[in-house]
Amino acid sequence: MLDKINLIQSGFDQDIQNVKSLDDLEIIRIKYLGRKGNIAELFEEFKTLSKDEKPKYGQTLNILKNNCQSKFDEVISKFEAPENGAGSYADLTIPPRVREIGTSHILTQTLNEMKSIFKGLGFSVYEGPELESDFYNFTALNFPPDHPARDMQDTFFVTPEFVLRTHTSPVQIRLMENKKPPLRAIMPGKVYRNEAISAKSYCLFHQVEGLYVDTDVTFAELKGILVYFLKQFFGADIKFRFRPSFFPFTEPSMEVDIWWTPEGKQGRWMEILGCGMVDPNVLKNVNIDPEIYTGYAFGMGVERIAMRKYGIDDIRVFFDNDKRFLKQF
Amino acid sequence: MLISLNWLKNYINLDGISPEEIEHKLSTSGLEVEEITDQKKIFDNIVVGYVKEKKKHPNADKLSVCLVNDGIEDLSVVCGAPNVEAGQKVIFAKTGAVIPSNGMKLAKVKLRGEVSNGMICSEKELMLGDDHSGIMVLDNNIKEGTPVSEALLMDDVIFEISVTPNRQDALSHYGIARDLAALYNKELKLPEIKINEDAKPASSYASIEIENTNACPRYSAKVVTGVEIKESPTWLKKYLKAIGARPINNVVDVTNFVLHEIGQPLHAFDLDFLVGSKIIVKNAEENSAFVTLDSKKRKLKSSDLMICDGEKPVAVAGVMGGENSEVTEKTKNILIESAYFNPSSVRKTAKHLGLSTDASYRFERGCNPDITLYAANRAAQLIAELGNGKVAEGEIDIYPNPIKPIKVTLRFARIEKILGIDVPKDDVIRILNNLELKVIKQNENDVLVQVPPFRHDIEREIDLIEEVARIYGYDKIPNIEKIILPLDIKVDQSEFTGNIRDIFIALGFNEIITNSLLNDLNAKKFGNPVSVMNPQNSEMSDPRPSLMHGMLSTISRNLKVKEKNLRLFEIGHVFQKLNDGPIKSFADFSEEEHLLFAVTGNAINVGWDQKERKYDFYDLKGFAEEFIRNIYLDNLISYSYNNSQIAHLEYTYEVLFKKETLGAGGKVVKPLLKEYDIEHEVYIFDFNISKLKEIIPLAKKFTELLKYPKVIRDFAFVLDKKIDSLEVETTIKNSGSKLLKNIKLFDIFESDSLGENKKSLAYQLDFYDEGKTLTEEEVDKDFWNIIETVKKRHNALLRG
Repeated sequence: MLDKINLIQSGFDQDIQNVKSLDDLEIIRIKYLGRKGNIAELFEEFKTLSKDEKPKYGQTLNILKNNCQSKFDEVISKFEAPENGAGSYADLTIPPRVREIGTSHILTQTLNEMKSIFKGLGFSVYEGPELESDFYNFTALNFPPDHPARDMQDTFFVTPEFVLRTHTSPVQIRLMENKKPPLRAIMPGKVYRNEAISAKSYCLFHQVEGLYVDTDVTFAELKGILVYFLKQFFGADIKFRFRPSFFPFTEPSMEVDIWWTPEGKQGRWMEILGCGMVDPNVLKNVNIDPEIYTGYAFGMGVERIAMRKYGIDDIRVFFDNDKRFLKQF
Repeated sequence: MLISLNWLKNYINLDGISPEEIEHKLSTSGLEVEEITDQKKIFDNIVVGYVKEKKKHPNADKLSVCLVNDGIEDLSVVCGAPNVEAGQKVIFAKTGAVIPSNGMKLAKVKLRGEVSNGMICSEKELMLGDDHSGIMVLDNNIKEGTPVSEALLMDDVIFEISVTPNRQDALSHYGIARDLAALYNKELKLPEIKINEDAKPASSYASIEIENTNACPRYSAKVVTGVEIKESPTWLKKYLKAIGARPINNVVDVTNFVLHEIGQPLHAFDLDFLVGSKIIVKNAEENSAFVTLDSKKRKLKSSDLMICDGEKPVAVAGVMGGENSEVTEKTKNILIESAYFNPSSVRKTAKHLGLSTDASYRFERGCNPDITLYAANRAAQLIAELGNGKVAEGEIDIYPNPIKPIKVTLRFARIEKILGIDVPKDDVIRILNNLELKVIKQNENDVLVQVPPFRHDIEREIDLIEEVARIYGYDKIPNIEKIILPLDIKVDQSEFTGNIRDIFIALGFNEIITNSLLNDLNAKKFGNPVSVMNPQNSEMSDPRPSLMHGMLSTISRNLKVKEKNLRLFEIGHVFQKLNDGPIKSFADFSEEEHLLFAVTGNAINVGWDQKERKYDFYDLKGFAEEFIRNIYLDNLISYSYNNSQIAHLEYTYEVLFKKETLGAGGKVVKPLLKEYDIEHEVYIFDFNISKLKEIIPLAKKFTELLKYPKVIRDFAFVLDKKIDSLEVETTIKNSGSKLLKNIKLFDIFESDSLGENKKSLAYQLDFYDEGKTLTEEEVDKDFWNIIETVKKRHNALLRG
């Protein structure tokens, strides 16, 4: 019995070493591991052994079977690994079939980021017309007629009574005319300024207006929300300062500067938003009692903020829409 | 506005406070400092030099080689100036110095073989004047090595301050000092006036009459006689130069000085030119002409206020004097005008004359009616001192209805309600008093404040709160970090366009944002445009009536940089006039939101395993229909097709809702493309988003997934070429099969073998029943019925 076992083992070892193909392997399988193969035959023979002999050969026989099977598995796995069989080849370095996804404009993306911060704080989003009446753009916002404050924004007049809005603030008026406080909303959109086109200024840009009117809205709360916004948008280490300023529709008014170091240049303060407490005259103009209600408002330019965030130094690039630019974002 | 630190120090003690700190204080209290210039730093490494020797340059005729002592050592310097001589004290820029006029940093160089260790400077190179004919030669008493900033008394710091339109009170050195006094709680000093007046009263030299007291509430004047017109002394010239004003003569310089000192514009008349020794303040005659100081002839309106003498106008009130009464070298006797004009009157006149002067700028923002006499006296004193003149006794002062200070109550509780912080009462009172907002009565809960007439911006309690806040410091107001969230429904009017953007991005489009202003000619091609009255230039005169121009311009620009395969979209407002008259109300024009998308170039690029394919009409249609499906309108709308040209499109098709057009698209016609230099085919679709928004789509609901198998059958028909596939599809649809759920055209074949003017259309039909598995017999019945119907209706032959 032991001789037979050794013989089969050595025969198997030799055969398996000479295997060249899966066909060869199949032959080996049938010869040794098949239902009627050499090893199966030995097991049949084993059954005929006496009770005394069985323990003597049982273990050795099992070792033979396991040895052969595991060796066989090892070899067959080497042959089976490449699905196409040995010798198949594909040039995997060929460039792929290109799949291009679309892009939203970087100004839209910037605006969306702002929107999502303010929406998270419970602000609604309202829109308004770009061709506005003097009343909504100026008068209702407490710009007295014949006042130098009207020169602060270079205006495109369609007629003496209609203008391309110079800011998104008229949407505040439209909103407060139609809804009672509490009111909390941002109002994004295009605004126009009658300025020559240059790297620094364009005849239009995008603004995001914010408004919150309720019974206990304070200047401290305005500061708080702006700090929150700046940190969310620019990161926790953003350096900023608050500076008193003047807008006819807010009082007290302020501007917020952030510290900006353009690449290779000296750092400087850069104004990015104007804000303040809604002027009592504005509230009166929309029949809200300023003794009971107070509110804050803010406005910021999307281009300026995007330029700061992405290191763009020429505003015109936004409106050129060169595909090479569009695809960058 | 430029402010000199040295000048400021006349009114407030700023010892021990650095310019940087002043800059910070001013900026964070409402007077933004845009730039700060330290004259000393400009003249770093520039010193007084002593020219010990001068030799001719061996290799250049026009150059000389000088030995210059800079206080430490003798240095060889090459100089090209014709006037350099040994023994001169000159201005010497050492190596390392930066030349102020051109920003050039000096290094040791060889000029035509001779070493030069610096440069001897001209007035122009130092930006001290225009003289470039030779070097500046200094007084011989000045010691070599003295820093030039010291030698030339250039030791000032200049602040460039941006003053907001509400703060006329800050448009002078004294005004800035007033804010600093409040910020540092320091004393503010107005210079005292001491004049030895002549016995003869001013009123005996001239008389003044105001016809329009609304436009000119107050007119004060002083008379100075026997004045010698000459150059101003150094101290005065230095102050004026520091703030960028050009010194002219002692009289003009004094009026300028007083303007920048206390903010009161003055005008000096040559008294001998005033006919009848009279001043009459009255309105101009309509369309009369007047020559202003700048020698320009101006056409006047009857609303313009003029200063006149006994027979003619001599100045445009508050804006600019006239040539006819200007102070000249020969002037002896002077009348100093110090008036208060109505802000809105001056603004109107300045605007229509297109003139903005230092005077009009201040008057239209509101000057101080209480300071006219002080200003006139201050100027009279200085003119008399600098021109050896005599000041006539007293003044002429016409002020029929004195403007009274207003009184405003400020409640302490209101400060907290607005600012969110309880500012200590003592701080409130101190701040107000320091700003000359006098607290005249103090109660437990409030104070009564008297507001002087020079603070035109303060009329209400809120205005006082702002003053308190900005001086107290915005930084001392806490940033509240809690926020009350509202529980009512949020509105987002931008959501719909946001969804549209997402759809087009998913379809591989790039969003563009174009200039909404275009020239009138282009605008008229696309609608009935609105026009701007005051465009920047004719290229940007009309708000766009359509998004077409922006899109075609963008395509054109991209083609120029060889970006030829484009899928672009824009969402934006478009404007059209609704009638021919001028725009008087919102009913006279429309403003709508539109979406325009376009494809051009290759839909598929040539590649190693594929052929290129250009975009065509069916790509456009596919994008339009996928868009419609994704805003859930596919079951609500219908399409209409047209092979003839509409507007700028051929092969057009429209998307309709109840017969109203929601959008239209097609292939852009060649003549239009040519205007934009586009040689490729462009397919474009324009949707009216404002109209789309009005349609409420069917509520989105889950459709049960099919549980039973579909039965799929195909067939192909040969029929007349002119029969549109949509007609065949409609026939199939209307054949009455309830089991037919889907029709797909999968092949179109044209060949002579089919017969002349024939084509083959092959369809795949999906049949199923939601409730059970269909049998072959059930499907066959409907299928054959469809075949028969199509055959009959379209005279078609079943193929194969």
